[in-house]
Amino acid sequence: MIGKDKILSTLKTAIKKSTADQTEAIFIGGENGLTRYANSTIHQNVSENNSKIYFRTILGKKIGVAITNSLKREDLKRALDNAMEIAKNQRENPDFVSLPSKQSYKKIKTHFKKTASFTPIQRAEKVKEIFEKAKKHDLDVAGSFSTAESEIAVVNSLGVACYQPLTSSFINIVVMSGNSSGYSEFLTRDVTTVDVEKLAEVAIGKCLESKNPKGVEPGEYDVILEPAALANLIEWLNYIGFGSKPLQEKTSFMADRIGKKIMGDSISIYDDGNDESAMGFPFDFEGVPKKKVTIIQSGVAKGVVYDSLSATKDKVKSTGHALTPDFSEGAIALNLFVKAGNSSIKKMIEKTKRGLLITRFHYINGYLDTRNALFTGMTRDGTFFIENGKIKHGIKNLRFTESMLKAFSNVVELSRDRKVINSWWEDVGCIVCPAVLIKKFKFTGKTEF
Amino acid sequence: MEDKIKVTIDYLKKKKVDYADIRLQKKLAESIKVKNKNVESISRNEDQGFGIRVINSGSWGFASSSVTTEAEMKRVANKAIQIAKASAITKKENVVLAEQESFVDKYQSFYQLDPFTVPLDRKIELLLNSTQILSKSKKIKVAEGYMGFYKTDKVFASTEGAYITQAILESGAGIFATAVDDGEVQRRSYPGSHTGDFATRGYEFIQEMRFLENAERTREEAIQLLSADPCPDTTTTLIITGPQMALQIHESCGHPTELDRVLGTEISLAGGSFLTLDKLSKLRYGSDKVSITADATVPGGLGTFGYDDEGVKAQRSFLVKDGLFVGYLTSRETAPVLKQKSNGTMRADGWNRIPLIRMTNINLEPGEWELNDLIADTQEGILVDMNKSWSIDDKRLNFQFGTEIAWEIKNGKVGKVYKNPVYTGITPEFWNSCDAVCNRKHWRVWGVPNCGKGEPMQIMHVAHGASPTRFRNIKVGVSK
Repeated sequence: MIGKDKILSTLKTAIKKSTADQTEAIFIGGENGLTRYANSTIHQNVSENNSKIYFRTILGKKIGVAITNSLKREDLKRALDNAMEIAKNQRENPDFVSLPSKQSYKKIKTHFKKTASFTPIQRAEKVKEIFEKAKKHDLDVAGSFSTAESEIAVVNSLGVACYQPLTSSFINIVVMSGNSSGYSEFLTRDVTTVDVEKLAEVAIGKCLESKNPKGVEPGEYDVILEPAALANLIEWLNYIGFGSKPLQEKTSFMADRIGKKIMGDSISIYDDGNDESAMGFPFDFEGVPKKKVTIIQSGVAKGVVYDSLSATKDKVKSTGHALTPDFSEGAIALNLFVKAGNSSIKKMIEKTKRGLLITRFHYINGYLDTRNALFTGMTRDGTFFIENGKIKHGIKNLRFTESMLKAFSNVVELSRDRKVINSWWEDVGCIVCPAVLIKKFKFTGKTEF
Repeated sequence: MEDKIKVTIDYLKKKKVDYADIRLQKKLAESIKVKNKNVESISRNEDQGFGIRVINSGSWGFASSSVTTEAEMKRVANKAIQIAKASAITKKENVVLAEQESFVDKYQSFYQLDPFTVPLDRKIELLLNSTQILSKSKKIKVAEGYMGFYKTDKVFASTEGAYITQAILESGAGIFATAVDDGEVQRRSYPGSHTGDFATRGYEFIQEMRFLENAERTREEAIQLLSADPCPDTTTTLIITGPQMALQIHESCGHPTELDRVLGTEISLAGGSFLTLDKLSKLRYGSDKVSITADATVPGGLGTFGYDDEGVKAQRSFLVKDGLFVGYLTSRETAPVLKQKSNGTMRADGWNRIPLIRMTNINLEPGEWELNDLIADTQEGILVDMNKSWSIDDKRLNFQFGTEIAWEIKNGKVGKVYKNPVYTGITPEFWNSCDAVCNRKHWRVWGVPNCGKGEPMQIMHVAHGASPTRFRNIKVGVSK
């Protein structure tokens, strides 16, 4: 850890040298470790110590961005000079008004000392426990277990100066027999809450229960999606539709539909970056405080998340969802929640006459038809056939091709329990999901395992 | 810097590790994105650091840092050793590396015009002028242009005596028109989808793309798609153009032939492979028209380099020969499983990542057909172009691809345009249905700059040589 004072003073000193009208500097850095295993042995064990400093310089309405990963004075100066040179050569951005001014932020706990000090040996010992549990059933284990400590700071010439230390830990476990597999995962800021015994039991149970899978034909099935499977779908919905850019460019399923019903009554989705229980982080990468944003309310499209640039275009205020300035895809919702219901996976199974229980999806692609949120993807690591209210057997994996607007209109039950599922934004984001029961979910292909 | 590297290698030798290497890398990147007559973003990124990989107590450890002082190198070396000791807690067998000549060499990728010396304004102008042509219709709601350039300098040194420096320059660009009307969204890209086409070449590669000459056609096809009929659901003959073949090769041949994946080490993220060891030299992967090579020596290919990140010299080998599955992409650790030496495919996407088996230029070798003759020879079928969506199961068997555009082929002629084409299949069945591959005149290497693998995720630059190729009895559409 470099520490708050040193980081903020380094960034402030750097931007003082800028001759731009406005200047912003962002620090993202830290030390992280990851232990990766397969065939019940550690095959990769890595550590990284890195920092990135982003400069955004503004000349009128011209914006230049340059990045360095060196804190040396001369490297910082060169990066700032690069940003200035780019700004000079840039064209005016009509949507730019100003960098954010001084803000205040909610205090939330994002740093846990025990995560920060967790060692590779501690990770290896935890992982060994999983291997030993699986070995009792003659099963193999693959997965990864990471721990990270980082610092994020944003400073600009208008008075923004925010800093937040953070930790994170993620573990995923795939347990395999010769013809089946089971999965579990856990994401947290506090590594002491990782219960490897419980996680191993879940993955082992799924693997054993899905042994000797039978083939079923593609077609429409009622499906129970466990939280990880639902999160896999939400992740793509977010990517193609919950941000401001696809709305403004009219390429997403939300475009021209704000205020209209696009999903079932039971579906409410919101983003809340200040929620400590879900990898919350109090500000975005422009130093704007995170605001709670309702995206879908009782099936009605309510709104999207904004950064400063896209907010100006729609004459609204930023919701605090800017990413780093080199990311040109616009604002992204990082801390998504799907509202819980009052059911449970057990009750959903009991109510299902003929359907499938899905642990997670693999390789979803949501680019097929973004206006209708048509997705395809495969089931993976624990897919089960349900008949007359009972799990009958594991099945070979299936490919779905389905409109998510249709699928989310056909949700009939959501569980009370929700899980924090990892997303593409591991350190500062996640998706909190219940399990859902969806009627008539369409599968279009099958595979051999 | 050479002194610091040598001091660190000596230090690791004194620590009596089984093996160690150090890879120091400096990368300069520039990206320019133009959208709807505005320059949406320009950024320049300087990134440097080093990674140390050790085998100690028979297990791997890797540590890395962006601080390149001698003291930090020593700290990181010790950390890598400690991590290796942690890995050994679950060790089943000692890591054994295939023998390898320790090269002392320099490599420089070939280019004519360094893109970092081309004035920024000139690059912006080309993209703005191109997107202006794309924007000439009100139906084009998003007109985009992208350029990306990377200059990488790296040094590899090992306790076995290797010392290799490499300088690799990469350039790429593309233009993209998104047409929107009445709830319909359609997109055409040129010359490749996603971020365009990339190569280990200089700015001359961008100039050869001739954006201004190709923008109008790109725009008109996007508009044409808005009112096109949906691609029918059918089982038919499919002719796939080069850029889509690149993705087809990537997903259904490149990834499943990665030997680390075959041995299970990618299970937790992207899955395994159906090409298990028992299938080597036995499985008829494709028809006799199908020969696929891994060739890191193709001039200008995005997967071209001098040495991989284990110091193994770039080479060409067959993965599939006349339809028979004959080889894997290997590393020094995995090759001994086959009683072979590494064929040089271990690469890391930065100093802070451990090298993994990655595709190089994975090429479907050209056949004998002229494209016109191939179309004339097709009574009924569909011609598809340019990737739009991609998905494949976790053993690389069941795939589904969407492309930007399709055309009907009837009685040997290209007919009307279809929108939203999707085709699907099972990998070996699909490749065994291949009955024609176009010749070298139609063959080129397509750069894919966004291949994801590993935890932490690594994005690798790879490429695929391909020409238009014909497949019989392919399932098109997903409604039936």
